[in-house]
Amino acid sequence: MIEIIENIKKQFEAETEKVKSLSELEELRIKYLGRKGNISNAFSLISDVPAEQKPQFGKELNQLKQQAEAVYNKIEESFKTKSKSLMLDLTLPGRRSFTGSKHPLIQTAEEIKGIFSNLGFVIEDGPEIETDYYNFGALNFPENHPSRDMQDTLFISKDVVLRTHTSPVQIRVMEKQKPPIRMIAPGRVYRRDTPDASHSPFFHQIEGLVVSEGVTFADLKGVIESFAHIMFGKDINVRFRPSFFPFTEPSVEYDFSCVFCRGKGCKVCKGTGWVEISGAGMVHPNVFKSVGYDPKKYTGYAFGMGVDRIAMLKYNINDIRIFFENDVRFLNQF
Amino acid sequence: MKATYQWLKEYADIPDSAEKLADKLTDIGFEVEEIRPLIKEFSGVVVAKVESVEKHPDADKLSICEVNNGKQVFQVICGAPNVKKDQFVPFAQVGATLPNGFAIKKAKIRGVDSFGMICSKEELGVEEKSDGIWELESRYQLGDDFSKILMKNNDYLYDFFITPNRPDCLSIVGIGREIAAIYDKPLRYPSFDVEEDKSLRIEDFIRIEIEDKEGCPRYAGRVIKDVKIGPSPEWMQKKLEAVGMRSINNIVDITNFALMELGHPLHAFDLRNLTGNRIIVRKSAKNEKFITLDEKERILPENTVMICDSERSVAIGGIMGGLNSEVKEDTVDIFLESAYFKPERIRVSSKELGLKTEASQRFERGTDPNGVLKALNRAASLMASLAGGTVVSGICDVYPAEITPDKIPLDCTYVNKILGSDLSEKVIRQKLSGLELDVRKDEIIVPTFRVDLKTEIDLVEEVARLINYSNLPSKRVTNIPYEIEQRPLEKQINLVRQTMINLGLQEALTTSMIRKEEAQFFSDKEPVSILNPVSDDMSVMRNSLFPGLLHAVSYNRNRHNKNLRFFEIGRVFDQIKGQDNLPDQPYKAAVVICGKRYSEGWNTSAEPVDFYDIKGFLESFLDKLFLDNSDIILYDTSSYFDNNLSMNLIVSQQITGACGRFSDKIIKFFDIDEEVYGFEINLDALFRHLDLSRQYTPIPKFPFVERDLAFVLEDSITAKSVADCIRKRGGELLKNLQIFDVFRGGKLGNDKKSLAIRMRFQSAERTLTDKEVDGIFNRIIVKVNKEFNASLRN
Repeated sequence: MIEIIENIKKQFEAETEKVKSLSELEELRIKYLGRKGNISNAFSLISDVPAEQKPQFGKELNQLKQQAEAVYNKIEESFKTKSKSLMLDLTLPGRRSFTGSKHPLIQTAEEIKGIFSNLGFVIEDGPEIETDYYNFGALNFPENHPSRDMQDTLFISKDVVLRTHTSPVQIRVMEKQKPPIRMIAPGRVYRRDTPDASHSPFFHQIEGLVVSEGVTFADLKGVIESFAHIMFGKDINVRFRPSFFPFTEPSVEYDFSCVFCRGKGCKVCKGTGWVEISGAGMVHPNVFKSVGYDPKKYTGYAFGMGVDRIAMLKYNINDIRIFFENDVRFLNQF
Repeated sequence: MKATYQWLKEYADIPDSAEKLADKLTDIGFEVEEIRPLIKEFSGVVVAKVESVEKHPDADKLSICEVNNGKQVFQVICGAPNVKKDQFVPFAQVGATLPNGFAIKKAKIRGVDSFGMICSKEELGVEEKSDGIWELESRYQLGDDFSKILMKNNDYLYDFFITPNRPDCLSIVGIGREIAAIYDKPLRYPSFDVEEDKSLRIEDFIRIEIEDKEGCPRYAGRVIKDVKIGPSPEWMQKKLEAVGMRSINNIVDITNFALMELGHPLHAFDLRNLTGNRIIVRKSAKNEKFITLDEKERILPENTVMICDSERSVAIGGIMGGLNSEVKEDTVDIFLESAYFKPERIRVSSKELGLKTEASQRFERGTDPNGVLKALNRAASLMASLAGGTVVSGICDVYPAEITPDKIPLDCTYVNKILGSDLSEKVIRQKLSGLELDVRKDEIIVPTFRVDLKTEIDLVEEVARLINYSNLPSKRVTNIPYEIEQRPLEKQINLVRQTMINLGLQEALTTSMIRKEEAQFFSDKEPVSILNPVSDDMSVMRNSLFPGLLHAVSYNRNRHNKNLRFFEIGRVFDQIKGQDNLPDQPYKAAVVICGKRYSEGWNTSAEPVDFYDIKGFLESFLDKLFLDNSDIILYDTSSYFDNNLSMNLIVSQQITGACGRFSDKIIKFFDIDEEVYGFEINLDALFRHLDLSRQYTPIPKFPFVERDLAFVLEDSITAKSVADCIRKRGGELLKNLQIFDVFRGGKLGNDKKSLAIRMRFQSAERTLTDKEVDGIFNRIIVKVNKEFNASLRN
């Protein structure tokens, strides 16, 4: 008689496999667990079971009933969850977190720093409030010389200024160590300029300095060209023009072919095909003298670039003030 | 420095067009900031004749004119006082476009129709300012296109940026010399010959004496008699106007012309005003007052070089003449000064006087002491030919110590060593001699007009720029060894920035120069102030990042950007003297937050941020930096935070930062109408304890046991003190402690609270037994109960 239970079990298992909907499940329930279902019916057979088998028959049948109910509940649950999930509108937006980003000037500075790091430059840092000596004197700006008018200076006292360029870091580094030197110094600089679309009384520069034996003007040209190509693409040309900075000789002003029209001429480059980037040059022997280097032995080059200027070119921004307004509708674009 | 193409052509052969020349000059270091046709283009303007002029019935100053263009007569309203019948005039017809872009349309002026406009020189871009319409000569044909007539002789105007080292190029001849070098052609100097009246001798008219030999190494002069003051010839007026100088009279124009041509400033005195027929050059007296020819009385700085006669001062040497000796309409005899002043002295006086002139700008950069007589003779000869003067014979020239040309050794190897080039000696010599440098066997004699050439390196630049930078080699390899040792600061700052970004904060960059009032909110100490600030709202250096960030909050809220979470990293400035006697300038990092805690949505609640949000940011930030000796304790006393809602950050027993809610006063000052929370950390202090090295700790292999309990205790007992007590008692096996509920009120009573705490116990060596955990757990309970008079909550 025990075989009857086995059979019901096998049959039940086989049929549960085939259930595809809640209604089929209901049919299955009636067929096995209903008042007149197979399992209930089997209980009525107990009277026919030999007395010594009765306890075992009852026990196994009860087990079967429990198992079948558990299986039934499980299947029902899974159908219900499934139908619930079908009711969710998955097109509703998810839970968002606030996200932040680096300021576009920082992103630009990091890109520039990254390029020069790859070229083997060490990143140095220096104070923003500087002595007259580091900002001017050691950089071969004589006292009472018109070259000091090239940068309208903000003064803290007679001998202390807001640095007008990152060049004082050159002096601080050279005072500390002997050549070879290959460094860049990013940072904030200040000029007494009234704010307008192209001027801010504070802005950001990256200074470069390389000093060793046998460094030449050709090295300077090469490094600026390499930078232009990595930053803006291989088709960018660099134009070097003579200029004047007291701390370099020969001095250079360098332009890139316009990053928008690629040199054809457009509104940004005012039709010239060129955009001014910044200044550079061979380190003036007087600068070497002021840090105790032998200008007969060592030569070097220095360059500067405006981070704000490069960011404006990179992102097609025509007003420098937008960087410091910190409007999130601007910052969120980066 | 302005110059025209045609004027330059008088001194140097220019085989190129005006535009091409601009490029070539830029290539050798004279940046052309602007090049434009001297006369800007316009259209629709024709030669016409005024047929009649009548008064406008409703306007005193307007006339109704009939204007004939040869084909048709138009009614035109004209406001110029000089309009007359039968005049030939440039007439802008309806449809014309003027050089400034103005389009001529039919108009009704005070009720009368006007068909076009009679133009002035100003309106046609020929002069800066006109007093009336342009009266043309009658030789033109009516109806001729006037723009064609003007354009036929059109010239180009350059505006050069002359670097301060090249005062010699603040002149037409100076730029001409560079052009001559570009094309390898000689420079044509103007004539310096003077026809003198031998019957008159200068000694009888003037005597010169220099007391201040340091300030004025050379002073020379000539006397020109019987000049007739009047307008200068048109060609001279045109040249001066083109380069931006107003024509005054023939004598003044001639000194200005010589200045522009040769770059050497001159001054003409009315000889009759020089008392005692004497010139004495001396230093200004203390608090001396002097009226300059712009009719302003000035108090002279000490050590100013003054030009005086036997009784009084007559000019500020090298800067500006005096009103008392200026050339007037009835001037007859001229004393013409040509001098050399020491650049530094002129610069200091000019700066202190706040007076910059064409003369002072040249003298302070450096003029040619040996060009003094050329300029003097050039101007004297023009005064004879253009103003009818008689030049008295002889020059009074006081030049006690001659300034001789510098000699610089010439070393072609050095040139190539700096440039990385392979230029031949011949090329180098040729380039240098093209600039009128005297190239000898082993040295260069530098003419005194080149004040910038002092040492060998200066010659390198001369060669390089004439070769053209673009023709010099470029090298893309380096033999400098790789010895890269990055500074820790860069890494530390990067870690701070990245952690902030990871917390979902937006980076801002704000001004370092703030209003004094703003700085005073954030420190009792006097801020570092700027002597010559750009404006009042940028008069001191920031002592905190908060003012800038609060401005950013205010700016955004005013634009309906409400949910804000900013951070900034930057230097702040403190009066404390550090290295080199400079103010201390530590890096700080700051965060401000306001608005909603979560991005608002259909399934998120729109609660505003509170103190525990800012504290959470600070804690998470510190977690990521692995500062195990940091703590946020001590109620902060910062006046800018609310008393009860602020705390200090302590790192290794030092106050390193603060965190809290900004006080109402601050919020109001920055014009914000919502609660704002913030923290600021001194990074320099933090970095002293920051260890960037990492060593891995094995992840525990054995299971942990968690136990929860709740203590009921006095409300005034802080969570931190309870947690500290539990940690101490829990020992090594207590790995984690979390306060998961705080409950007040209900059955607990008024001043009580319940703290629910979850503890996790774990050992790295073995599985803990229940008995072991129970032991520690019970010891904790006993200790807390005793220490805080607490009880367990059921």
